[in-house]
Amino acid sequence: MAKGDALGEFEYLVMLAVLRLGTNAYGMRVRQEIAARTGRDVTIGAVYATLERLAEKGLLTAALSDPTPERGGRAKRSFTLTGAGMEAANRARQDLASMLEGLQFPLAGGSQ
Amino acid sequence: MKPPAWAHFVLWAVAGENEAEFVAGDLHEEFLLLCAAEGRSTGSRWYVRQVLRSAATLLGLRFRSGEAAHLVAAALVAVAMPLLLLDRLWSFVYSHIPLKDGLERAPGFWAANVVCVCVCASMCGSLAQSLPRAAGVAVASAAGAACALWCGAAPAPLVYAGLVILAAPASSMAVYAWRRSR
Repeated sequence: MAKGDALGEFEYLVMLAVLRLGTNAYGMRVRQEIAARTGRDVTIGAVYATLERLAEKGLLTAALSDPTPERGGRAKRSFTLTGAGMEAANRARQDLASMLEGLQFPLAGGSQ
Repeated sequence: MKPPAWAHFVLWAVAGENEAEFVAGDLHEEFLLLCAAEGRSTGSRWYVRQVLRSAATLLGLRFRSGEAAHLVAAALVAVAMPLLLLDRLWSFVYSHIPLKDGLERAPGFWAANVVCVCVCASMCGSLAQSLPRAAGVAVASAAGAACALWCGAAPAPLVYAGLVILAAPASSMAVYAWRRSR
């Protein structure tokens, strides 16, 4: 696997949020999902930059929807995982699981 | 209910053509939800914070797509270069008039510069095909004008500097709005 193919931590979070949201995965929902589950104050710019990067890598695919009044008459771009995206998410999960194997959590000395 | 207009403009100015509509739509949707739940002032504060904190990232995205480079190039060619060339031209003209070399320039020269900048920036704005591009051209032309003033041979009067920096983006946006209305 090339160095650029590995998912960064935030990229992984965004991909998981897209997976969780299913057909309703667009910028605002992804931002809210990450904020609600991790407690991070994520900006819409960071979410869009990551979604764009993942789409460029071929891990996500985007689809446009019609403009709606609650969006000020603007269109929405929803994202879904591609086959390569599923594969990358599986691989990241596997890597994390193998790194965590044998370690005891919470770690002594940590705050949580 | 609408978000603060200036923050909305900043968003359109920094976000690229590919993202501006979707980011603005997402922020608008969440802004309305927040206003309904916690009031307009909380919604507006949240909107402004999101725009300001996202500005650098969105601008980076715009540079990565190559769009921002085009805007900077357009502003340099359309605003900064004519201003610098005019500055050199007036220096040359003054150097050939006995006893005038080194003196402050006549208001007519400054006025000619302002008119020239307005015409060039208008042409630049008329080529913009979308609001993010027009807003980007406006911001880039103001920056281009500021750079040209800074690089000028003689220090420019404050009023003239302010006028050029404001007139360049205003004329490009005005021509874009006029073209859209037609």
